[in-house]
Amino acid sequence: MLRYFFSRLVTTVLIVFGAMLLLFLLTAVVPGDPAVTLLGPQASPELVKRFVSEMGLDQPIHVRLWRFFANVLSGNLGVDVVSGRSVWSLVLNVLPDTLILTFSAILLAVVTGVPLGIYAATHRGSLLDNVLAFVSVAFIAVPSFVIAIFLLLIFSIWLDWLPVLGAGRSGDFWDAARRLILPTLSIAATWIGFIARLVRTSMLEVLNEPYIRTSRAYGLSERMVTYKYALKNACIPTIAVLGLGLGRLLGNAVFVEIVFARPGLGRLIYGAISERNFPVVQGAVLVVVVLFVLINLVVDLSYSALDPRIRRDGAGGSPV
Amino acid sequence: MVHPLVSIRDLKLEASTNRGVAHILRGISLEIGRGRILGIVGESGSGKSSLAQTMLSFLPANVSGVSGEIVFDGVDLLKLRPSEVQSYRGRRIAKIFQDPMTALNPVFTVATHLVDVIRRREPGLPRKEALRQAEAALTSVGIADARLRLEAYPHQLSGGMRQRVMIAMALLVRPDLLIADEPTTALDATVEAQIVDLLKSLRQELSGSIVFISHHLGLVAELCDDLCVMYGGTVVESGLVADVLVRPRHPYTRALLACEIEDDAEGRLVSIPGEVQDPVAPMTGCIFAPRCPHVVEACRVTVPALRPSDSGRAACIRFEEIA
Repeated sequence: MLRYFFSRLVTTVLIVFGAMLLLFLLTAVVPGDPAVTLLGPQASPELVKRFVSEMGLDQPIHVRLWRFFANVLSGNLGVDVVSGRSVWSLVLNVLPDTLILTFSAILLAVVTGVPLGIYAATHRGSLLDNVLAFVSVAFIAVPSFVIAIFLLLIFSIWLDWLPVLGAGRSGDFWDAARRLILPTLSIAATWIGFIARLVRTSMLEVLNEPYIRTSRAYGLSERMVTYKYALKNACIPTIAVLGLGLGRLLGNAVFVEIVFARPGLGRLIYGAISERNFPVVQGAVLVVVVLFVLINLVVDLSYSALDPRIRRDGAGGSPV
Repeated sequence: MVHPLVSIRDLKLEASTNRGVAHILRGISLEIGRGRILGIVGESGSGKSSLAQTMLSFLPANVSGVSGEIVFDGVDLLKLRPSEVQSYRGRRIAKIFQDPMTALNPVFTVATHLVDVIRRREPGLPRKEALRQAEAALTSVGIADARLRLEAYPHQLSGGMRQRVMIAMALLVRPDLLIADEPTTALDATVEAQIVDLLKSLRQELSGSIVFISHHLGLVAELCDDLCVMYGGTVVESGLVADVLVRPRHPYTRALLACEIEDDAEGRLVSIPGEVQDPVAPMTGCIFAPRCPHVVEACRVTVPALRPSDSGRAACIRFEEIA
């Protein structure tokens, strides 16, 4: 288990390095001069020159690459060229909002999607199974931000049940929770269907396995067979796909944050890109990358906790 | 006379396929005596595994018709509701499966498998006590380091070891009827012999009856009391193992025995010419007629009934003549 953990950790570091390289190259080749964009077309040549040298844009590309890596590794994500604040503090400021949104969405999707999927698998061909098949495909096909706009329209504008925008006054838990409902729903809607489909498919496959027949032959109750013996097996492919999907979920969160004007990493990156505020773009995207890679690491480890065949060592020793 | 534990009467099983209705079991009648070991032999496709599955009410999804009766200790299992059948499984009937590689759940330890079977009998038994029983069961099926093996996952065990775990599960049930569906087919020859020896030595502990399904007459001869030979979804011959193997009366049993023990004059393996009857085809005469060396016209027009012979019962109209 420990060896597996360390080998995964090494891959994780390599992935982050690769992502940093890519990130750097992307900001280097993206069209639009940051100096001109930020300072405006009226800026004097001297000002532009000072700005360019402040940002280090006059240095050759390998020097800039080296500085970027050296800075990040020493914990310095750079300085926001507009406000002069450190990127790290900007990111930390909005990170909790994004994390709360993402996790409440995934939590809602799992606690509703998994039971729905199990029900659909064990009641194959039932009305709910058919309805679920239709609805989940419909929700998977519609992007989160479209759902977000509809939810806004229905619950905030027409029915006036929930607040429209923002994350709520700081410290007011109920206000923040009320403002979390619609964004969470818009992200989770896609995922409930997705998870339900995933669980249904894996469950159906597992329920046909010979070992399930063994459990039934020994008279174990159908509830025990389904929720203990089948579900643990069905979770394995589900978690694997879910891990990859979490990247998309972070992406969904970006758009939803923009629609609901919630503070968050998404809005931070979006704003920085339109201003060509490269240090902020690089720093914030890097945090997203690290977040994504860490989530995947956790997923991978839980995957091996569920499936003993992935673990390298353990009780019982080698096959005899 | 004591009633047999199980008596099966005219059991028919039909399944719909894209070629038409397949007659998987064409009217099986047999009895399983209390405390006896019945060997069921036959080629692949003879319906022996389908028979075993029907006894546990595990019917394939494409089954279109079941008729007849399976009377288990006075109760017709075919007339029970699913929940009632379930109350028999794992209490009075247990099964050992053909492929031990896939019959155990890969994400649970041996201990979990065994403890759940124990708790099925005795709900609320403390885990510690259940584990103690599980360990004892593993020891009694010849697994060394039982305590250590309890924590093993199925993939950490060899095929023979897994089959021993399956047998331990069956032992813990102490069933009235144990169905062993080709329990050694997936194993190496040496391991196969060990498992058969194990089953033999466990006869004392398994006080109930055993149905041992195999295509291997030699194993059946070694382990079983009674023998039932199946062909094309029918029983063609039955009787005491000692009698049937010495005086086989049905031509199919003879052919099967010849395949098992003799090489022909040139030392080639003997085989039965022809192919197993297509299950979709209707049965007009003796099911074995197309492959039978002793076939006469009468065989093709009348379905032979199982009738008493000097070694048991045989379904052949000519067994006196060809004996």
